[in-house]
Amino acid sequence: MEMETKSSICPGCSIGCGLYLLQAEEGEERKIKILHRPTSPMNEGKLCKFGTDLHMYYEREVLNNSVEGGEVKQEEAIREAKERLKGFKPDELAFIALPSTITNEEILSFVSLASEFGCENVSFGFERFFREIPEEASYIIERGLPFSEVEKATKIILFFLDPFVHYPLLARRILKAKKNGARVIEVSFAKNERKIADEVVLVEPMEIERIKEKKEMFADSLIIGELTPYTDSQFLALMLWLTASTSSRLFLFKPFLNSTGAILFGKGSGRGDLSEIIEGIERGEIKALYSLETDIAGAMLGGEEVAETISKLDLLIEQNAFRTPLSDVANITICSEPFFMKKGTIVNIEGRLLDIGGESEKGLQAMESMGKGRTYEEVHEEVKRKLGLAEISEFEIAVKREEKSFEMAEPKAEIEEIKGEEGYFLRYKTNPFFWNGIQSKNFVEISPAAMRKLGLFRGDEVEVVQGERKERMGFKISELPDYLILSEAKMSIKPLYVAEPHRMEMLTRVELRRAKR
Amino acid sequence: MKLKSKYYLAWAKDEKIRKKGANGGFVTATLVSALENDFIDAALVFEKKSVYEGIPVLTSDPEVVKKCAGSLHGVPINLTRFVVEYAAKKRIGLPTKPCDARGIIEQAKRRQVNLDNIFMIGLNCGGTLHPLRMREMAAVFYGLDPDSVVREEIKEGKIFLISEEEGGEEKEKWMKIDELEQKGYGRRDACKSCTVKIPTMADLACGNWGVPQGEEKTFVEVCSEKGGAIFENAMESGYVEAEEAPGKGIEARKKIEAGMQKLAASWKERMDEVSTLSRSERFEFYVDELKNCIHCGACKAVCPVCACEDDSKCLDMNDERDSYAISMYNVLRIFHLMDSCIHCGQCEDVCPVDIPLTLIQRRFSERMQRHLGYVPGMDITEKPPLYETELRWSARVE
Repeated sequence: MEMETKSSICPGCSIGCGLYLLQAEEGEERKIKILHRPTSPMNEGKLCKFGTDLHMYYEREVLNNSVEGGEVKQEEAIREAKERLKGFKPDELAFIALPSTITNEEILSFVSLASEFGCENVSFGFERFFREIPEEASYIIERGLPFSEVEKATKIILFFLDPFVHYPLLARRILKAKKNGARVIEVSFAKNERKIADEVVLVEPMEIERIKEKKEMFADSLIIGELTPYTDSQFLALMLWLTASTSSRLFLFKPFLNSTGAILFGKGSGRGDLSEIIEGIERGEIKALYSLETDIAGAMLGGEEVAETISKLDLLIEQNAFRTPLSDVANITICSEPFFMKKGTIVNIEGRLLDIGGESEKGLQAMESMGKGRTYEEVHEEVKRKLGLAEISEFEIAVKREEKSFEMAEPKAEIEEIKGEEGYFLRYKTNPFFWNGIQSKNFVEISPAAMRKLGLFRGDEVEVVQGERKERMGFKISELPDYLILSEAKMSIKPLYVAEPHRMEMLTRVELRRAKR
Repeated sequence: MKLKSKYYLAWAKDEKIRKKGANGGFVTATLVSALENDFIDAALVFEKKSVYEGIPVLTSDPEVVKKCAGSLHGVPINLTRFVVEYAAKKRIGLPTKPCDARGIIEQAKRRQVNLDNIFMIGLNCGGTLHPLRMREMAAVFYGLDPDSVVREEIKEGKIFLISEEEGGEEKEKWMKIDELEQKGYGRRDACKSCTVKIPTMADLACGNWGVPQGEEKTFVEVCSEKGGAIFENAMESGYVEAEEAPGKGIEARKKIEAGMQKLAASWKERMDEVSTLSRSERFEFYVDELKNCIHCGACKAVCPVCACEDDSKCLDMNDERDSYAISMYNVLRIFHLMDSCIHCGQCEDVCPVDIPLTLIQRRFSERMQRHLGYVPGMDITEKPPLYETELRWSARVE
């Protein structure tokens, strides 16, 4: 048994932790093991639970090439895909890719493929934000900051973000900043159980915008927040307004590994937006979808509805390494390689251009063979040219950010009073498992008051209910406001800000019951 | 040729190996010889990517082994888990730091590997450095571009960095380890306080302590029959040349070891901030540090003495729904490892929230091990006194 060790990157979130991936084959048996890579400047040899368990992510069932459910050779699947795509008008087509496992080279190839068919509905998940904010502020969405800036900060404001859960490898940078003398303030609905902050500013769920009254607190700080395809426009506007009006800096984390690469190389590629594409499919205007390594129904909250919408398509093409619920209903599936095998680069949230470490061009070549037919080297050169780089070094920040001043209109949202009797509010605490379709938690956090009110005992379970949707879960008692429910688990409960956007709300009303024993 | 002594000065006969390998290339030549002469099926070595990075490779190709020659103090990876995962049923040879050898011996006690099949070529160890701290150190204290450093060496209490300048010229710079460590650089904390410097628990113990100045030779102590056999074979097959070590060299080596142990003991005392605290302050310290645990399981995954795998008590008895100040996972790990922790620091190296696990684990295990008179990983015949050593349910080898 020979053992092959590769340097690789974790696809769990936008930090892009370096690791070693060991593969050994003996007869039929193939083992994958993840090993910490101390030389990696992003994570310095550390990994979160997702990274430590990454072999599980790679051990999923692989996807075959298929046409209408029948297994075919890759060339045939590609030929069929190309032919069928030609049968649609450009406006009837859409291309989507949430960039968790997609390289910069693939992004360029994907964009180019879409343009070959004249398609402008191309989405990497963040397009709408650029239309909703002043152009001068777009650098904040586009570019992150090196972690050294977090460690050097004198005041850090965690804006509705729990680093231990959302981005675990960020937590140690904040702890280091604290050791260096930084003051950490947490703006949240509930106190963090790990008590990372020196000061906690609790905000009532329906009164988020009242944080504006504490504007002075943000002066000269580093605000750390999160931007996901779900982020409410008004909520983003609030973060930007606080930044613009207090000479602070805003560092927006994003859930997908190559979010920065997708924004840089996909920007301006089309007018698409994820939610608009889904609405377009729903209205019957978009009839064909090319999905690149994106289980849109599995990744999104309220995925059942998305799956229903997807079923209205005339043509669904899914290119992926692994079988997903989406690939099960796709007309054509094109098999690509698992992320660690890919030849290519990504840009992490700090702006480092990172080599993934693989040698396979399968996914890229599948797209290129339908499009311009370029070699990997040609596309890779384009990546370097666009970034103005001659060499790749993980120790350099390739995508730097320059702070600019910008003006931002004061966001306004209706403030709704919460009355104690009105029930419970659910808030999702997203994490790398959450976005990557792997369930890691089977419980929700509730307040001691809720436990008493429902008469819960150890070992009981609760039901979280939203209309017809019902989820049975375990529970954990946390120091929360009486009405708040926190969940790291993905449930069918759809957040209000997805159902009714532009309200700045991050919670959704639910019922909470004791489940029958 | 039969070995007449326990101590030798030895070197590779092949000039290329002698030049590339550390201290005359004895370790590389012995591994190549073992592979060529069917003593082992594979060698577990580090493929050097840079002076800061070595990737573990299990190979049966002697040419790969030759390429992997040379010291890598900036690679603080413990090889025990590789041996367990990939080579439990194979005959392998590998260079081992004392903590690698100790981990492998503890795994053998737990029936995860068969020591008869493992040839441990021990390397004297003054300690390893974290590669990123080493890069910083090169830039800040040595004034070097970290990427220009092509070799490093630790000798006579100094860290030497050899850089390649434009035009291929090599430049050597050094700084005293003590000076660097006072400034928070130098060796990892676990290494600073480690008192096991010569791996006599391995089959051979190799290093440059006791080698006359200016000579490119390895001082070899033969620690087991297996070690003797592999050494003899390397000589008989013409890979290695050796001469008996002079008495002066043996004494010098002992002296260096004693000096380093003394230094380690003083570091241990200096770093032991927990023992100076009152009981309530200690509890506060544990809570304050361990509350940050995110239950990633990395500390368990890399632990060279843990053999429980998925059936482990720390996982079984832990429920994340509990709201204890310190989770049962941490409590159980501390107690389960009390008799066997070798204080290698792997857990702390990988902890994503930087919990000082070596310090905490040491606080509990060191006193227990002293009380029980048990030093883990030193002797295969001594069983861990507190906990199960059979672990039959998860035994990988008979």
